[in-house]
Amino acid sequence: MTGYLLRRLPSALLVLVLASFAIFAILRLIPGDPATTLAGSDPSPDTIAAIRADLGLDRPFLAQYFSWIGDLLSGDPGRSYLIGGQITDLIGDRFGNTLALAIGALVLMLVLGPILGVLCATARGRVPRALLGAVNSVSLTVPVFVTGVLLVLLFAVTWRLLPPGGHQSIVADPVIGLQYLVLPALCLALPGSAVIARYIKDGVLQALGEDYVRTARSLGVSRRRILWRHALPNALPPVLTVLGMQVGALLGGAVVVEALFAWPGLGQLAEQGVARRDYPVVQALLLLLVGVYVLVQLLTDIAYALLDPRVRLG
Amino acid sequence: MSVSPAFADTLTRRRLVQGIGAGAALLGLAGCRSAVDQDKAAPAGAQAGPRRGGTLKVATLADLTPALLFTQGPIFSIHRLVFNTLTRYAPGGLDPQPELATAWQIAPDGKAITLTLREDVTFHNGRPFTAEDVVFAVRNLQNPQRSAQLRATALAVTGFDIDSPHRITLRLAHPVTNIFDLFEFMVISAKESVEDAVLGRNVVGTGPFVWKTWTPGTSLVLERNPRYWVPERPYLDAVEIRVVPQPDALIASLRSGQSHLAAGLGGRDIAPLREDKAFNLREYDQGSGNIYLGVNTSVAPLDDKRVRQALSFAVNRDRIVKQALGGYGLASAAPWPKTSPVYTDADANRYPYDPTRAKALLAEAGHGGGLDLPLAFLSTAPAVAQMVQFDLAQVGVKTTLEPLDPAKFQAQLIAQTMPALWTGTHGFASNQPATLAVSAYPFNEAKNTSKFTDPQYTEIVQRAWNQTDARSAAAKAAYAELSQALLDRQFIIDLAVLTNVQPATANLRDVRQNRYNATVLDDAYLAG
Repeated sequence: MTGYLLRRLPSALLVLVLASFAIFAILRLIPGDPATTLAGSDPSPDTIAAIRADLGLDRPFLAQYFSWIGDLLSGDPGRSYLIGGQITDLIGDRFGNTLALAIGALVLMLVLGPILGVLCATARGRVPRALLGAVNSVSLTVPVFVTGVLLVLLFAVTWRLLPPGGHQSIVADPVIGLQYLVLPALCLALPGSAVIARYIKDGVLQALGEDYVRTARSLGVSRRRILWRHALPNALPPVLTVLGMQVGALLGGAVVVEALFAWPGLGQLAEQGVARRDYPVVQALLLLLVGVYVLVQLLTDIAYALLDPRVRLG
Repeated sequence: MSVSPAFADTLTRRRLVQGIGAGAALLGLAGCRSAVDQDKAAPAGAQAGPRRGGTLKVATLADLTPALLFTQGPIFSIHRLVFNTLTRYAPGGLDPQPELATAWQIAPDGKAITLTLREDVTFHNGRPFTAEDVVFAVRNLQNPQRSAQLRATALAVTGFDIDSPHRITLRLAHPVTNIFDLFEFMVISAKESVEDAVLGRNVVGTGPFVWKTWTPGTSLVLERNPRYWVPERPYLDAVEIRVVPQPDALIASLRSGQSHLAAGLGGRDIAPLREDKAFNLREYDQGSGNIYLGVNTSVAPLDDKRVRQALSFAVNRDRIVKQALGGYGLASAAPWPKTSPVYTDADANRYPYDPTRAKALLAEAGHGGGLDLPLAFLSTAPAVAQMVQFDLAQVGVKTTLEPLDPAKFQAQLIAQTMPALWTGTHGFASNQPATLAVSAYPFNEAKNTSKFTDPQYTEIVQRAWNQTDARSAAAKAAYAELSQALLDRQFIIDLAVLTNVQPATANLRDVRQNRYNATVLDDAYLAG
């Protein structure tokens, strides 16, 4: 196993090195640099030149690259040019916020999706069925920037039940923090919930039509028990497959939701970093992303190797 | 797929209603301790006289950028909250009033100014304010890394004579008409904290509020300065500035009672609040910048003044103000707001919307058959460019729109690589006219984006800047000449002066702004 790991490590490291170079180069190919942002409005060329020199952006490309890599290897990814804080602190804080948002959305997705799916499958009567169908379709098709505005309009402006945006730490004050989390998490969870609901609805309907359900019913097993103990568990396996994809979509959707609800997460940090050419922040975020992918890939390979000896021996 | 008859009655209408009720009850649980109540801005109401206490909640589109602490930015500024300035202009004009400087004397030759400073001022860290802090403030702005737009004026200060801890003379390379513009722009910060301040860590001034905590991307909290040198001020206990990076969310923050004041919104954004009596739309008379059509004079046929003037006649400024700015602007061919000493109605209306005259001028310049030009614009603000494109097409000037993201736009602006035409915004027309010409890069006589050079323009700019007395007849004549030079040469075609408007709840009183749009809360209070 150790030998297999040693064989896999060089390629993982190579990917990281190539990615670091590509990230560094691509950012500098985009027109505009941090000095133009740091120079404020109506700046003079002298001001921009002085800032560029101060940031070391006038040094040769490779010198800048190796300086960045050297700092990274010594455990210091540097400071944000614009925000001023240490990148490790910035990313650490924002990562926690994005994680809280993603977990909140995932929990809501796992609660709302099955409930909606079961209700859709068992609804009787034209009105409830049409209503549930409409809720499902709207959740699935309306983009998050529209549902976000609607949620704010209803829950924050009209009824004033929840704050329209902002953030407070859930750890520091769980009661208040959760209230800040509800609307963005709900907004982020709705499309995924609708997808899960559709899978569950189809699965439950199919299960309810099976012979074993009829048999159980004829033996006097209650309808609720059959639904929750037999039909629903049989409808879940396809949902697990789709859930993985929805988790990926959660992270993508978080960028929009964070902007809409003033939620200070990684998406907002990345968006600001790219727009204002805050090189150290964007470089660190992208490299972190690549690192996570490489790590997941490595762990997957190790899992395969553990499960199948032919992989580690071959 | 149909529902099995055995399960057809699992969800009935009654159960659906019961379910909705249960959901509402769950939501009600949130009411045990409400984030909404915690956030709620004090209710609107009428009470005679200022009320002490309360936290002012401000929502702003963009976060503070510490590295830009000493520049004028487009978003909510803390310049006059944490800091003071040496002097301040009286509302509605350019009459300097005492702040940290109580008196001043300009030398007869205009090459020195002696300031008498307040003796009862301390920084938030307890250190007394002295003349040495004035020296540091000027040198700080002379440092190009501070990106101060009034650096040219700061550089005109060549030496300091400190007579006593509270009396200093600034020696100048030449007389400058905009020295009080510099004094209103230049915040007095504690020199021992500046390097930390530009990293957002320890911002220390003498102002009415003390920097408490800054959470990047989230909020900035300022608390009342208990040792403020103005007796009984400020009334507010604290100011909390929250970042809400989306206009609709910013409006929602105001309407939901989460904020008292919204900063950074455009005229069109605030339209939903116009008829709502719960809010005041505060308009400030100094404007908040200008929108313009830039012209690259090195591109033929834009090197011909007649073609540039034709473009100026071709644009319908009133329509731009109405549709792109939501009515919050002054359609004007001149850059000056109405409170500028050089503003005249005649200059503002120098280029009325007149397509016929525009076509005649184009024909006179030999371009009656039409033109085809690129038009760059900020991708975040396409409306003005689209309107300009339509107007120019009516006189035979076809334009191709080229969207640029803000960083690229700024880079091309400075590198003088803009295409033939571009739309953008500029500032610095609200103070002494010379400040526009020496501090706003598009108007710089030595080097500008338009690649416009003209010895006569240079001479006029220098004359407008180098007057001994900014209020003398000679200075006023030079300003008028500067205005005429800009209107005649049209390398920057000004379209409108932006009205500075801030929506706020009706109970927020006595908020002011200085000439650089920095919010002043010394006398502000929340009526009970």
